[in-house]
Parts: sequence; structure tokens; C-alpha cells
Amino acid sequence: MNETAHRLRTAAPALALMLVALFGLGFQLQLPRAFPSDGDYRAVAGALAAARAPGDVVLLHPWWTERARLFLPPDLPVVGYLGDTTDDLLEHPRIWVLANERLPRTPDTDFRRNFLPDRRQAGEPRQLGPLTLTPYRNGRARKVALSLIDAFDRLEISVEGPGETAAQPCRRSGARMQCPFDASVEVAWHEVLYQPVRCLYVLPPSGGRTLSLKLPEAPAAEALLLEAGITWEHAWIPGRSDVLLRLESPAGTSISKIPGGREGFVRTETPAVAPGPWTLRITTANPHDRQTCVRLRALGGPP
Amino acid sequence: MSRAPTPLDRRIALALGILTFVVLWATERAVGFVRDESVYFAAAEQFARWWAVLFHRPASALSDPVITQAFDFNHEHPMLMKSLYGWSHALFAQTLGWVRPAAGFRLPAFAVAALIPTLLHLWGSVLWGRRAGLFAALCFFLAPRHFFNAHLSCFDMPVAAMWLLVVYLFWRAEEDVRFAPWTGLAFGLALATKHNAFFLPVVLTPFGVLAAWRAAGPEGRNTLLGMGRAALAFVGYLALLLVVQGRDGLVQSWQLLSPQTFGLVALVASLAVLALRLRQRDPAAFVRLAPLVAMGLLGPVVFYVHWPWLWYHPVDRLAWYFDFHATHVHYAWTYFGDVLRAPPFPLAYVFVVTALTLPVSLVLPMTAGLVRTWVLNLGDLVPAIGRRFGRGGQTEWLLGVNALFSILLISHPEVPHFGGVKHWLPSMPFLALLAGREFDRAAAGLSSALRLTARRGTLASVALGGLVLLPAFTLTVHVHPYGTSAYGELAGGIPGAASLGLQRQFWSNNVTGVLPWIDANSRPGTRVWLHEVNGLSFRDYQRNEMLRKDVIPAGGPEDADLAAVQYHQEFREQEVQVWQAFGTWVPSTGLYLDETPQVVVYRRSAP
Repeated sequence: MNETAHRLRTAAPALALMLVALFGLGFQLQLPRAFPSDGDYRAVAGALAAARAPGDVVLLHPWWTERARLFLPPDLPVVGYLGDTTDDLLEHPRIWVLANERLPRTPDTDFRRNFLPDRRQAGEPRQLGPLTLTPYRNGRARKVALSLIDAFDRLEISVEGPGETAAQPCRRSGARMQCPFDASVEVAWHEVLYQPVRCLYVLPPSGGRTLSLKLPEAPAAEALLLEAGITWEHAWIPGRSDVLLRLESPAGTSISKIPGGREGFVRTETPAVAPGPWTLRITTANPHDRQTCVRLRALGGPP
Repeated sequence: MSRAPTPLDRRIALALGILTFVVLWATERAVGFVRDESVYFAAAEQFARWWAVLFHRPASALSDPVITQAFDFNHEHPMLMKSLYGWSHALFAQTLGWVRPAAGFRLPAFAVAALIPTLLHLWGSVLWGRRAGLFAALCFFLAPRHFFNAHLSCFDMPVAAMWLLVVYLFWRAEEDVRFAPWTGLAFGLALATKHNAFFLPVVLTPFGVLAAWRAAGPEGRNTLLGMGRAALAFVGYLALLLVVQGRDGLVQSWQLLSPQTFGLVALVASLAVLALRLRQRDPAAFVRLAPLVAMGLLGPVVFYVHWPWLWYHPVDRLAWYFDFHATHVHYAWTYFGDVLRAPPFPLAYVFVVTALTLPVSLVLPMTAGLVRTWVLNLGDLVPAIGRRFGRGGQTEWLLGVNALFSILLISHPEVPHFGGVKHWLPSMPFLALLAGREFDRAAAGLSSALRLTARRGTLASVALGGLVLLPAFTLTVHVHPYGTSAYGELAGGIPGAASLGLQRQFWSNNVTGVLPWIDANSRPGTRVWLHEVNGLSFRDYQRNEMLRKDVIPAGGPEDADLAAVQYHQEFREQEVQVWQAFGTWVPSTGLYLDETPQVVVYRRSAP
């Protein structure tokens, strides 16, 4: 017995090396089983094409499995970005989760903690190779009565102040509204803390002036949701000015602020609002690196 | 124990070096041009032209304006490797036409990288036997990121090789004084390779001084104390100048005839005189100190002489050089879902990234080897540990310190953390060496436990080595030529690392994965935006027949027909800008390594 123990002890380092090597080989051998073929993705695309409805969205899990974009219907929104499990996806009553749980270190805890609350499964999962396609009813979805980006052509945009000086209107230049004092507004895709967003892309005016965006007529809504964030790498840079946002609507005035160095969206929701004009004023002491992505939406109840 | 390897081990080491060179050359063609590399290609070509001027019009070539014009480009790094790259390209690609331009530049990089397995075997075989040396040599190059970096005409792998060379020669010189001048010369070449080498005296001086002190008699110790006093006096003098003049004043007022020069000359002269006295009065102590003396004398001379850019303005240009690296910009780097942009960086970063990027079958012996070394070294300091586990000794300390030094240096929270593992590469050959000892112990234990004959024991060792190295080999083959994307099994491979939120890739070379598609889907005049690929690399892809020559580089998505976007967490905006410019979020193709997007290609929608 002692002899056997001694021999085992002597061979233990070699056994440990062998076990670890076998683990490594085993890992590498089984890993390809987690990779969907082109056919698997095409089958997913076919299933989605057959079952999709207006307002549907596809959420990738894990968030980085974007090869799916090559195959999915081009007009079907696909969401996949770091942090997307916390996205309310409020314009989408149904979410198709395209998951690949065979991949190593799939962030399931994050998915359960951030995605699943207020969502319930709305159909049987379909297994297509290593991919699982599951529809979810989105309990966080809201009717969107109006989005400011859809009303861009109706906006009255000008630069105000400082002081009592008269507002100076902005002029259209191509798809962009070009304003005095280096300000501009356009509808464009940008990134706010890794999230691709189609938003009002605002370069605020210099000299402490205020950019005013007025929508003369807007519908009634249960709430107005204002989201604003600094785009891309400009957000994190320390020492930059705050951006102040003042929203005037029939519900009253709400003021929010994107603090300097803040990454991600700042969200403000107003109470129910009657029909009437909305005016959003954006001011910053120094517009350098304050490229701001703004979404303002009039929300209703569940769709 | 003699520190000289046996003739057979010398031949094995040489064979390992040749094998490495051949393998690197054979696998070079697929490796893309990292952002820095094309800059070094251009610099190397420019310097090679200066050498031609030197040959034809030496008086003109040696003038300050011509030197400044020739060497101002990319003066962030010294000249040794760039000169070798330039000469090799001029000879093998331009003159003889034997190789494509990129291979012409890269051949010296292969040769210098091949020093590492050679030295690892020479050293390992003497310390722990042939088995250990062979394993150390092979395991270093079977790490995917090491293998990748060894292909590049950059400086990270060369300085790792030079660091190893200096420490090895230092170790040999401690026994055989004939190696001392070679240590000094190698140190000069290391300084001429990359700035990491300026830390070598910090690492080696304690060893040399302590060994000399132990070997010295009373008179020798007096001389050593005198050297210490001279060094301290210099430090005090420098501190005084710093207080009086300030940092900028100290640099700006440093001229040929200045207090600073006086102090430096006084230091060198007094140390040289004392070293000579030590040699006369205590030869045994001098032998131990000789490599340091050689490093002190030859290193700065080689560094200065090899770099014409320093010749006319040594002080202010050296000051700029140090200042550039001391205040290097921080590039964004993704680590567990956070984009690190500025210090302080996580203390554990280097250890974690090392463990996650190496194949697990190499992590184990390297870690075990490092732990054993430090336990033994602790045994020198704590008698109870020494009695229980054994004691280290000078060589053990030398290996342990070098295995950790670069890792700890980069671990400092204020030091730039970009660049994957390449910035602490000088530690990795030492970890490989220590892994060699662990493998040797394991193989010996296996033979003993199975009571194998010598012949069968050898076969068992080969089988064990093959098994342990196989996962590293397959991983390296699998990920080649996309080495900056490589992750080991502990990370869950490349997809696991993506889920963990680790840096996907860097340096832009992965674009080679989509160049064939771009070639096939472009027309003459197609405007192509290769995101993160600088203009020099674009030109290099074209002149090395990796990208068709009739496409035009675009400055951004706005003026491009095709866009190849590198997936970086910090560059998400740029992919979204492509959506905006091209009117689509649907890629046309991409490079997806184990499902992870690396390079995503978009084509502008038809109007």
C-alpha cells in the first residue's frame, strides 16, 4: 500500500500534466460543436421570416454572436451589444432571443437577472443546430405615439441667448440642420455606451448658448421619455462640461443633466401629457466633445 | 557544476534555432501587417537609403542635417532592428529578389526570435538536463501569441530575446570572465533594440554586486565599498542638480561642457579606476563584477554609436526618448467588459491576461515552476522553509527575478496596459525555462513510478512531452495567423473571452482574413476603407500581393464603397457610422473566429 502511494505520489506531477493536457484537448475537440453552420443560421432566418410580425426584434445571446446578421432578414432589427440585456426594447412587443448556450462562458446569469424580468416566453423554443430561437412577450414594451426623430422635418430649431438676444434659426443643409455657433442637428446612427442608436445627433452651440428644438404640435401621451447621452469615446473624457436638457411640454418643465464623464443614457420620464407643443433646450458651457444623442418619445400603454 | 553546455546540447540548441527560423519563415506569408510594423518597414527602408548615401557620399551622410532628415522618422525606437530589417529587405527582396518585400524585412526578426529556443535549451539543459531544455524551448514557441509576435518586424520579441541573451551571458560570465565582454556587448545590443533593456542593470546589478561581495576579501570589499560610495556620490550630485535646476533645467542645460557631463565622467572614471584596482587586488571578486563593468562600459557606447540620430544631440534627444516612453499615451483596452482608458489599471491585469491567453497545459508547468522557484528562494531567507523545501541560490534567484520582473513592471497601475502580452514578453522565456524543470521532474517521476528502463523512460518522456505540448500546438495552428485574438482554455477559448468581455484583437492585422473577399468583390477604383489599417499597411498589402493594386484607400465610411471594420469595444461608433453612411446594418462578409466577429465587411447599398 505504501509502495503504491509512493509511486502515485512520484507520478502525480506527470498525471497532473496529463490531465490538464487532456482537458485542453477535450475542450478544443468539443468546441466546434458550439458553432452553428451557415445552414443553421439560414434555418433560423427561415423560421423568423415565417413567424415574424411588425414590431418584432431579435436579441442575440451572447450579445456578441453577430454572425447572425449575415443571414437574418435585413429589415428585421437585430440587437447585440455589450449590456443589451438591460435594454427595455420598448418599441418591440415581441423579442426573439437567438441563443447559443453551447458556447463557453455564456453569460446566463446576466441574462436571467437583466433580461427575463417582465418578459415571458411566448412560444416553444426551436432548436436549430446549437442555436435556440425563443419568442418572448416583452412586458416592458410601450406604444410609441411619436418619436422626435420621426418628426425631425417639423422641428423648429434655433440657437438662443445668452441673455435676451433674439433666437437665430438653423437652416437645412442636406439632411442636417446647420445652426449658428457651430451647432447642428441631424437624425443619424450613433453609439452611446456600445448601444447603436438612431437618434437626434446634436452638436450644441458654443459660448454657453442654448439649442432649442420645438415641435409645435405633439399628441397626448401617458408619458414623455427623454433619453440623452454623449456618443462614443467623448463620453468618458474627464473634465468636460455637463449638458443641461430642459424639456417644456403641456405636462410642465423637466430638467435633466448629462454630467461630464457620464457614459450611457440619462433618462427622464414625465407624467401624462396633453396635446400641445414640446420644446427641448440643450445647453452646455463648452460644447467640445459634447456630441449628444437625444431620443424623445411619447409613450402610451402596453401595445 | 560547469555552466557550459555539452557539445551535443549545443548542436540541439542550434537545430532548435534553425527549426524556429524555418517555421517562422514558412508561416510568415499569412501574417498581416500590424499597425506598427508597416511604420517600421518604412523607417527601415529610409535608414537603408541613408546607408547607401553613406557609401557614396560619406561626408554628406554624416552631417547633422542629413542624419536628422534620415533618422527623424520613428525616432521613438532605436535603430538596431530597423537597420537589420532595412538591410535584409534591400538585399534579399530588392537586390536578389528572393523573397517578397515583407519577408525581406522580417527575416532578421525570425533570426533574433530563433535565439530564444536556442538559449533556452543551452541554459535548461545545463541546469536540469536535456529534457528540461527541450521542453522549455518548445513550450515558449507553442504559445500562440509568442508564435505570432515572433513573425513581426517589431521589437517586442527581439527585446525578449536580447533580455534572455544578456541574462544568460551574465550568468555564464559569473563563472567564466571571458563572457563578460560579450555580456556588455549584448547589453548594448539590447539597449539598441528597445527601451525595456534599460531595466536590465536594475535587475542584474544586485546579483553582480552581491556575488562580488561574497567572493571578495577585505581589500576587495573596501574597493567595492568605494564603488558604492562613488555611485552614491553621483546620485547625490544629480539630486542636487535636480533641486537647483529642476527637471527641465537639468535636461536643457546639459551640454558637452556642463556640470552634468562632469558628474557623469567623474562617475565613469572613478568606477573604471576602482574596477581596475579590484581586478589587481581581488581577481575572484572582479570576475563576479566583470559582466556589470562590461555592461556599464560597452552598453552606452554601443547604444550611442549605433544610432546616428543621437550623434549630434545626445542629451536632448535621449531626454526626449525617455520622456516619450515615460509618458506614453494610454490606448483603450477591454478587460472584463470595461474599456480601460486611463490609469489606474487593475493590479492583477497582467497575471490574469497571461493565464487566460496561454494554453492551459503551459500555464500549469509555468506556474508550478514559478512557485517552486520562489519557495526555494524563500528558503534562502527563512530557514524553516529552507529545511522543508530546500534553498534556492543565486541562479534560482536570477531566474525567479527575471521571470517576474517585466510582469511586475507592467502590473504597476500607472503603466500603459495595451498590447496584449507583448509588453511583458521578456518574462516569458524565463517562465518557459522554469516550466522545463517542472516537466523534467514530472517525466522523471513518471519513469521512476513505472520503473521504466532508461530507453523506455525516454520514450515515456517523449510521449508525455508530446501530450502536454499538443493542446498548445493545436491552439497555435488553429489561431494562426490571428495571434492577437488567441485565448486559452481557461478563458473558454476565443468565444469564452468574448463573453468575458476581453479584448477581441488589436493591431489590425486580422484584416487579412477578408482581403481575398475584397479582392474578389472589388472593381478597379473601388474605394476601400480598412478601419484601423494605416496608410502604410494598406500600401504594404498591395505591394505584397495581398490586396489588389487597383483599389483606392478611403479615409472613412463616408467616401468608401467597401468598409472592413475591426471589432474593438472602443470602436463601436465606427461600425455604426458605417451603418449610417452605407444605409445598412447587414454585413456582406466578415472574419469570424470561432464565431466571434473580428473584422466585419460592409458594402455600400446601391443608390
